[in-house]
Amino acid sequence: MMAADPERAWSEEQLKSEEVPKKDLIKFIQDNAAHSFLAEHKLLGNIKNVAKTAKKEQLLEAYEQLFESRRFKGSEMDVVTEQVQAAKISDAPKEAKMEPVDEGPPKFTKSVLKKGDKTNFPKKGDTVSCWYTGTLEDGSVFDSNVPATAKKKKQTKPLSFKVGMGKVIRGWDEGLLVMSKGETARLEIESEWAYGKKGLPDSKIPPNAKLIFEVELVSID
Amino acid sequence: MALEQLCDVVQRCQAIKDEGFSPEDYDLFFTAGRTCIEEGNSAQVLSILVDEKNKNIVRCMGWNLLGPLVQILLKKEDRNLPHCHAILSHLLEVCSPKELLVGLLEQVEEADTGSIAETVTLLLKPLQTALLRLGVKKASSVGMALSTLLSQVARLPVPVTKEQEEDDVFGLCHCCTALLQFVKPFVEEIKEVVKDNNKISKDNELRVELLKFCMKSLSKPLLEVQLKDPDTLLKSPLRDFATEILIILSSIGESLPDLLSRNVLKRREVPGFLEEEVRYPKESLACLSYLLFVDHIAVDIFPAVLSPIFVLQCNMEYIDLLLSRTEESRLQKGLELYEKSLNRVEDNNLPVDLLELKTFFSVPQNLVKVMTLCPDQTLRTKGLKVFQLSIDKFNTEAKYKFFKGMLKTSHHAGVEGYIIKNIKNQVDFSLRPCNGNDWFLGKHLLPLLRLVLCLPHGPETDLLQNLDRIMESLNLLRYMLIRDKEWENETGIWIELYKIEDNYLKPLRTGLNMSKAHYEAELKSAKENKKISSKDSKTSVCSVTVDNEKLPNMTPEMQIQVLQSAVFTFDLIESVLARIEEIIETKERPLL
Repeated sequence: MMAADPERAWSEEQLKSEEVPKKDLIKFIQDNAAHSFLAEHKLLGNIKNVAKTAKKEQLLEAYEQLFESRRFKGSEMDVVTEQVQAAKISDAPKEAKMEPVDEGPPKFTKSVLKKGDKTNFPKKGDTVSCWYTGTLEDGSVFDSNVPATAKKKKQTKPLSFKVGMGKVIRGWDEGLLVMSKGETARLEIESEWAYGKKGLPDSKIPPNAKLIFEVELVSID
Repeated sequence: MALEQLCDVVQRCQAIKDEGFSPEDYDLFFTAGRTCIEEGNSAQVLSILVDEKNKNIVRCMGWNLLGPLVQILLKKEDRNLPHCHAILSHLLEVCSPKELLVGLLEQVEEADTGSIAETVTLLLKPLQTALLRLGVKKASSVGMALSTLLSQVARLPVPVTKEQEEDDVFGLCHCCTALLQFVKPFVEEIKEVVKDNNKISKDNELRVELLKFCMKSLSKPLLEVQLKDPDTLLKSPLRDFATEILIILSSIGESLPDLLSRNVLKRREVPGFLEEEVRYPKESLACLSYLLFVDHIAVDIFPAVLSPIFVLQCNMEYIDLLLSRTEESRLQKGLELYEKSLNRVEDNNLPVDLLELKTFFSVPQNLVKVMTLCPDQTLRTKGLKVFQLSIDKFNTEAKYKFFKGMLKTSHHAGVEGYIIKNIKNQVDFSLRPCNGNDWFLGKHLLPLLRLVLCLPHGPETDLLQNLDRIMESLNLLRYMLIRDKEWENETGIWIELYKIEDNYLKPLRTGLNMSKAHYEAELKSAKENKKISSKDSKTSVCSVTVDNEKLPNMTPEMQIQVLQSAVFTFDLIESVLARIEEIIETKERPLL
């Protein structure tokens, strides 16, 4: 059952007449008003201290406002006191590791240029080897491990790394996981999953650059 | 005379069957031959040596003449040179390659500092010729040769300015360029193996020797060298050397990204594990990383797909190594590598689990040492700059954990003060709209504040020594009390306040009063002492000896200055403390 609103303790004349001591007013308001109301009107704390700093007019005004707004104790979501909060937190168990927050749609697209075997897909932690050529949107090549001639291919090795472990840009980690062995695909990666605002000036990748890779997944170990 | 002796012994030996020459024969041949060469009769010696009849003799004994021959060649006297070169060529053709190697390498090893460059330059081609004659068994000899050559070349002074590199007075640049030529056929051989078999065994002996050579070069001289960029010096032999070493590594099957991440990726214990460690010295890898990421050497053979955070993780091992040294050149390189690696990462991006890694703790520790102890001021300043840069890259939770760790372990008031200033910036940031987080507001902030707002030794804490820390913590507190309204109390400071008063402000006030009183008394007595002994105002008050040298005496004037400045410092602390006490006084505290 909801408690009834508190009643006025003094009549208008009593309040006007200087009969009511400040301390009584303060006590009344502290007893009946919501915490937030008291905070806003600077009426929290030791009564003596409040009496020192608050003028009679302020208190009368607050008193009136209290009844007008009806912001009594229990009428509002009382802010749980920080002390209680603090006590609760110190007892709280250690937070469990959170799963990474879902960031929304993937920031790359893949188009298959040559089909793979469609059965062998790499898992996180597998070592994959690939040939690749990376270009900027304007077509300029900034990196490639494909040697110029087919003959020379025997002398160089495809790039090998453990996929899905954060060793390469995110676009690659995510893109390679959905390629099958033998597949050649075109990955278009937004800058957020590539080199972002910084780019890679040493490698001629400007800030906020979208990168396009032609990748051939040679093997999975 | 000597020529006759030579002819005699050769004639005698012609008759001996099956190369059964005696030690005396060897000695005579050597002594006579040497004298002839030294006396300038190289033409005659040549004709004796090329004579078909003497083929066996030359094959067995000829290589002993290498010593005197090389010495004459180094003297570069025109009249002798063509014949001596011809003798050398002949010996290289006829004598046993192994023995030739011994003779040649001995000359390299024995070269004194002044003649290293010349000797190396002279002997590289002959050495190469001898080695190539060894055929498939050459690997260990190649290794030995490379090791000897590099050891000597590494002794040459490293050019510092671009002019010095251009002038190459001591010949380091020339030798490095020549070494690349020397090593070329062996690298080509390995490339052929790779081409034919699509792969190469990691333990292929020749490959291993080339790997050792590259690793050794990376350590000396390349780690010493300060490479100039193409804008400063267009043609730089040292830059070319560095580039070629990286290309060689790649050609012999060492993937540069794999090399960099060696210390980061977990390795299973494989047989010969220790051998693996020896093959890849950390210092060499540190140089490799520096060349790639700071000097931008061979970037076009380094894949541009690695994640910047992973690159940082790999480089932390090398940064740690470089920053734990005392030589300023190493510290400089460590700081530059750290700065470059951090700059590749976006702000607020490094996750908290990186702090679990050993290097993410030891590097800041080393950095603090540089910031506080390094005698060179530019390094100290740069250290601080990189320190702040590293903080900026951590995400909020990681910053929190880092600050907490540093406050607990740095034991240096200046560093603590700097961290506290960073905490203030984070609190300020968090209080702005939409920036709220659990770490610098409320819940977790209070435990952090308890580390900030405390006196290590209560009221007896040395306030002067801890000045930086105390001032920053008072600034932080003042800031929070003004910025965070008590009815909002987003930081939780208003609830904590009574504790802060008891644990920090009151003891601080006590300590401050005590210190002030003490120093003011000292000041008064010092002034009185000064008046009394005004005639001998230069007499010392106390003497200090450091390292058996007496420091200049502290005069009464100086003592008064010091005491006065201490008193001013206390006034400074007091002014902030008083302001805080004032703020608390005028605002209501939620007493519950």
